[in-house]
Amino acid sequence: MKKREFWMLVTPSLVVMVGLLAVPLYRTIEWSLQNVNYGDPGTFIGLSNYTTALTDPRFGRAVVFTVGLTLVVTAILLVLGYLLAVAVNRLHRMRPIVLGLLLLAYVIPGLVGATMFSWLFDSNFGGPVNYLIAHVTGQDLLWFTDTWPNRVVLTLNIVWFLLPFAMLVILAGLQSVNPEVLEAAKIDGAGPFRLHWNVIIPSVSGVIGFVILISLMDVLRVFDPLVALSPQAAAIGNESIMFYIYSVAFKDGGQQLGLGSAINVLLIIIIGIMLIPSIRATAREGSR
Amino acid sequence: MRTSLRTNGALALTAVAALGLAACGAGSKTASSTAAQVTCDVAKPSKPTTVNVLAYNSSAIDPYTNTMVSSCSKNDYTLKHEPIDFPGQVQKTTATLAGASGTYDIVETYGFVIPQYGSQNKLAPLNDLFTKYADSYKLNDISKDMRAAMTYDGKLYALPMQAQMYIMAYRKDVFDQVGLQPPKTFEEMKTAAKTIQEKAGIKYPIALPWLATGDIVTSYDCILGSLGVNLTNFDTKTANFDKPQAKQALDEMIALKPFMDPQVTTFAQPAVQQQMYNGTGAIAIMFSGRMNDLTLEKNSKYAKSFAFAAPPKVAADSAKLYDTLSVDGWSIPNNTAVDKDALFQMIASSVSEEASKASLPAAYPARSGMVSDSSSPYAAAANVSITSAPPAEPYPWTADVSNKITPIIANAVLGKITTDEAVVQMQQAATAAIAAAK
Repeated sequence: MKKREFWMLVTPSLVVMVGLLAVPLYRTIEWSLQNVNYGDPGTFIGLSNYTTALTDPRFGRAVVFTVGLTLVVTAILLVLGYLLAVAVNRLHRMRPIVLGLLLLAYVIPGLVGATMFSWLFDSNFGGPVNYLIAHVTGQDLLWFTDTWPNRVVLTLNIVWFLLPFAMLVILAGLQSVNPEVLEAAKIDGAGPFRLHWNVIIPSVSGVIGFVILISLMDVLRVFDPLVALSPQAAAIGNESIMFYIYSVAFKDGGQQLGLGSAINVLLIIIIGIMLIPSIRATAREGSR
Repeated sequence: MRTSLRTNGALALTAVAALGLAACGAGSKTASSTAAQVTCDVAKPSKPTTVNVLAYNSSAIDPYTNTMVSSCSKNDYTLKHEPIDFPGQVQKTTATLAGASGTYDIVETYGFVIPQYGSQNKLAPLNDLFTKYADSYKLNDISKDMRAAMTYDGKLYALPMQAQMYIMAYRKDVFDQVGLQPPKTFEEMKTAAKTIQEKAGIKYPIALPWLATGDIVTSYDCILGSLGVNLTNFDTKTANFDKPQAKQALDEMIALKPFMDPQVTTFAQPAVQQQMYNGTGAIAIMFSGRMNDLTLEKNSKYAKSFAFAAPPKVAADSAKLYDTLSVDGWSIPNNTAVDKDALFQMIASSVSEEASKASLPAAYPARSGMVSDSSSPYAAAANVSITSAPPAEPYPWTADVSNKITPIIANAVLGKITTDEAVVQMQQAATAAIAAAK
């Protein structure tokens, strides 16, 4: 490839990456060191925003909640995604239809999906899940104001939204497993559990690592579901870091863009730390 | 083949019709048929000009927006309005007013934010333009009180279009069934609620918008206002949460909880409407702009059973009702590049007599004498409510104080802190907000 062709092909991507990644990142870091209000030039205040964020108990609660939610959701996505992928992989003529239906959740905008999801649990809007639970147990659960029921609803919604992606990626991995290896394992007497645990899963470890990577990034930045499903997230300890940033920097004319940027930088660091094992595993897989 | 073609043709026609219908109502809660055709003779600009209008969608605001967009989009002026909800408008207003140039040329504002933006010189004073066009657009017919609500430091920063006040909606069939009259005090309201719980089987009869991140502070302010105390004192520039009424207001809220849905702190006004629609609530108090929806049979099988009254007082000896008056109007950002004279004529057109009539019964127009007791099922209640609301607090720090005390009120109502702790925290937060605004 000629140098000129190389640059012609690379330049559009470079422009997009610089414009949409590098510049905002630079701006975020710059603002995190400033006191910034809308429309005014920022004033340098050193690490004051970081001190404010790190000494705010609300930030601590948001970090604990977000990291906990991320670990739980990622684990569920892996298990359910794998089981679902195995089930779909066994289908033949029905596979496109089932796949299409499963992917519906993924193509519905997050906020719309979360709002519809909230109606399942909201007696004010019918609330069939509430009705069923009340019918069976005689209890009314406060899904939106009690901490743990609300966490269950949030987890279910995020899993519902992200599961199709996890399933699809793992399904692609399953289809690349060498059938001869599977046949050999069966001849050697491997039962279904050993077949999956010792043969198939190691064969698709690369895609599993990829699912973990994407899931961690997605759930650590969770925002949309909380808008519809946790109207008083901060008060019940279910505020995500992104939701906290939004409250600080934008909501009700909050305007603390500097503080919001500092929390954003801290979030990037947290995401980086949590992704290290996953990135290393994926890199190892790639270098094989 | 012919059948297939006919079927496909019918489907295509249906799709086109659906798109057409969607386009007609695009951006508005009410269809653009609510738009009146009014005179909007703005002189042609030197080049084609787009005017961006920022206004949230509701059945009370849409008629004015629709009128302006449909009547003033001519002579090389194109008015654009994208659908948006109220929280979205709040954020976009903050952003568009921030810099040297903004995205919007006309913004919908309300009395609560006028002092803040006026004191920051973000809105254009309209006094001269008001005088210039007072006769041609009959602007002196707009209520003086509402103009005062849009004035800060002697400068008119918005042309009022309509007002919203609290109204109490109640299930008359249920009240008749158990022999109740509409409550006139909080004590009567609690007694009525208890009776409804016991005799009519409605578990959570009282429905109020108490969203922990927003509406709850309005409710608190209404109680405090009915008890005769403002959030802050303008003369001394101090907060009033060290007064006994500040704690009493929180106690009054907590005393209502046994009669309200346990998840009420997640309810904004649409959720309260929903409680009334589906019959799980029997007494609702919210802004008048939400009342028309209750009267529509397509929304609820109880539509004909709803009756309306002015909200109650908090205490029998209160001078004012549990109430608040919010005036909506049009403002012109100082940072717009469009000719302000032309923009003023557009907003004056949209609050004309014809447009105001078209807004009935959903809105309470700012033009005097537009709403008689028979204008709508809730007009009489609105006319009482508007004269008995606590005074507004048009100070530059009011919005910030409200934002700061909102989570504290929520924590007190949720029982996470005591009311004694809450008032101390509120006093501290409000004092800091006032100091920052000085």
